[in-house]
Amino acid sequence: MGVQCNAGRPVQRSAHGGTQHQPLSSKVTALLPTTTTVSDRRQVAMAMVVEAQSAGAQTTEDVLKSDLKGSNTDRAPKKPRAKRPNFNELHAKPLPLDVYPLPAFIPHNPISIVRIAISLISHSIWRPKSHAIIHKAYFSPETQSVHVTDPESIRALWEHGFWGAGSLSRSDPRWLDQEKRRRGIDAAATSEEWTKGRRDERRQMKLERAKAQREAIEQQLREEGKLGAESKLEDLVGEESVTESPRGTLYPADAANPLGNVTGTEGSVVKEISKAIAEESPDFDIEIKNQEHLQLTFEETFFLIYVLGVLEVYQDDITLQPTDLLRLFCEHSEFTPTKRPIQGPIASDDPFLLNYVVFHHFRSLGWVVRPGIKFACDWLLYLRGPAFHHAEFAVMVIPSYSHAYWSETPELVEYSKGKANKDWWWFHRLNRVQSQAHKTLMLVYVEVPPSRHMNTGGKDEMLDIGAALKKYRVREFIWKRWSPNRNRD
Amino acid sequence: MADSTPATSTPTMEPDVASEATIPKPFPISHIAGRYLLFDVNVISYARRTHNITGVLIGTIPNLSQQNVFLGIPLELQPEEARVLVEQGHAFIVDDAEVHRKGMMAMSREQRLKLLREMDREGMELAKAESRKAEERSTKALKEKGLTRKEKKSDESNSSAAVEGSETSLFDSKGETPTAVSVSEKKLEPVPITPTTSYPPLTTPSANAASQLPDVPKSYPLFRYLHSKGYFTMPGLRFGCHYSVYPGDTLRFHSHYLATGLDFDEEFELQDVIGGGRLANRVKKAYLIGGEVTSENDKEAEGDEIAPVRTFSIEWAAM
Repeated sequence: MGVQCNAGRPVQRSAHGGTQHQPLSSKVTALLPTTTTVSDRRQVAMAMVVEAQSAGAQTTEDVLKSDLKGSNTDRAPKKPRAKRPNFNELHAKPLPLDVYPLPAFIPHNPISIVRIAISLISHSIWRPKSHAIIHKAYFSPETQSVHVTDPESIRALWEHGFWGAGSLSRSDPRWLDQEKRRRGIDAAATSEEWTKGRRDERRQMKLERAKAQREAIEQQLREEGKLGAESKLEDLVGEESVTESPRGTLYPADAANPLGNVTGTEGSVVKEISKAIAEESPDFDIEIKNQEHLQLTFEETFFLIYVLGVLEVYQDDITLQPTDLLRLFCEHSEFTPTKRPIQGPIASDDPFLLNYVVFHHFRSLGWVVRPGIKFACDWLLYLRGPAFHHAEFAVMVIPSYSHAYWSETPELVEYSKGKANKDWWWFHRLNRVQSQAHKTLMLVYVEVPPSRHMNTGGKDEMLDIGAALKKYRVREFIWKRWSPNRNRD
Repeated sequence: MADSTPATSTPTMEPDVASEATIPKPFPISHIAGRYLLFDVNVISYARRTHNITGVLIGTIPNLSQQNVFLGIPLELQPEEARVLVEQGHAFIVDDAEVHRKGMMAMSREQRLKLLREMDREGMELAKAESRKAEERSTKALKEKGLTRKEKKSDESNSSAAVEGSETSLFDSKGETPTAVSVSEKKLEPVPITPTTSYPPLTTPSANAASQLPDVPKSYPLFRYLHSKGYFTMPGLRFGCHYSVYPGDTLRFHSHYLATGLDFDEEFELQDVIGGGRLANRVKKAYLIGGEVTSENDKEAEGDEIAPVRTFSIEWAAM
């Protein structure tokens, strides 16, 4: 690579490195003509080091090295990135509640005690409100979820604990921003667009690689004398003198004009049109109606209502109580084309209950728990939230019927076996999907309490939810493939 | 209890087309300890070439069984593969342990004596070879140390006696050491031999000794269907499916489908479809589920006619 650099850059670089060697490196660069090649420069630099007789030899080398690197990367000017929001600030609250911690107690500072006393007294007189707002949501049996439509509630629930998912977005409800941007009103990029940009970049990279491969083949053929200096590889393929056509590896399958957009001179028709559309002056007057709502899963909803008390769920303008909700959610926990109202007591191994127990367990431990359907598991556990980290664990909920009650009668044994036993194919599939996505597979066994039904009696009887939930036990089981080659120290 | 390949001969995996004529049709499949095994290289290559049956090679070195990358014969067949071969009349199942026991019991006195004599002879040969080898080793070791054998003394005394004779006779007597061998042969006892095969003494069982059909899992109809369409299949446990399905020989093609067999009315989790589809998509394949179409009317109307199989392939759509 004949890399040629302008002489000004090393000075800037050395300014990064440190100030005490700056005179030397600037001297080196000052001597250089503007169009010397790298090897020339190195020689000059070495000569200068010898001449200077200073301890800065290493530094000069470093400067040159960094200069070499810089000249490669800086050649293509980077696109100015839209500034990402400060997630630490945005998601400072882990739950949609306000908390008022007492001032710190410092033993050798008596004023701290006074401050604590003042805040205690003031809190007892003017009670601070932890629940600033009770959000409203609507039960939707068709989508097996609970909808939140108020934009402020949507933002609050998403930002403080990553609850729910946008109905028109991947998870973060940002359809409106995306739509505005698409119409050229707003300039902030959403995560979907980041992904798209990344994919485009990758495609471009692949096309360039294919081009390089093709050129290498052409070069090789020219050297072997099979290809004239002017003719192209396509001619050779057309003449059928090349039996194994390299088309499959070199050309995008769907492009009529192969490698057309590599050069960038001839854009595709679609690109032109979309550019033309984008250039049209956007209509700022039209108010885009936000058509997106937030969908909460049943488990999230129940946690928000029963544990945090920051949500109210309406069905036909009636607020639903936690006991009603529990029954309602159990009725809709399995996807069945026909509605199945539960007349008697709720089964103790209802899918909603099992999933909720696991959700409650991990939420209480501080994990952000989100549905894992896209990785074919039940829950994904995030440290702090999806905006900060990838999911660490993929949780699969498996009911466990280990209590003696479940082996009392042959029918119960048969029933529990059918529910708890899975085949090896299922497990290998699950494990492989998780290891491809770099998640740790966690099997969570929920000990089903020793009764087929929750002790609720009839439908109208009040259910002590806390007592019922206390009967469940959760066992965590991490599965990891240990291969000696990959786990060597 | 191996089928017909003695352990001493080195197995080669090159198909011998000329020997295809020697393959018994139908050929026997050994059923040993719940496994369906093929021991003959020619039969293996014949089954692969003609009947699209690949199986899995499981043979390894007995004292280096941790070496499991390059495996050789025997070839283990899936129960489904064995069943297809038997159903189509290309093969039959032989319960090897039973055949061996019965065959040995049914031997006549002369045959048994002949077998025992043969084994004694082989044992003797082995013992002789052993002692010869040991002797060679010790002479070599002594020579390296600059010592001579004790027997050399007697040798030399022999030669000194022979000095009186001509020089040629001296070299002759030195070349052969008849005394040493004859002495050791008296002490030798035949090495006890466990025969590695039952089919040189016994005759190869014929097709009429066939036992019942192999037991197959419920995914068998799907396997039979795919096999009838000319697909090759391999066990797909590492992809979390029953079979990975190849459009041709597995050495030439990548697999196209990850197939899971289900009962037609069986309920399955939607999550399994997501997982299977995701996994198959990741390895550039398609997830395939299928099962035998069964309805109440069909069962009554057609007794043992094979019900049709329907398959569905699931691929990720880019939205």
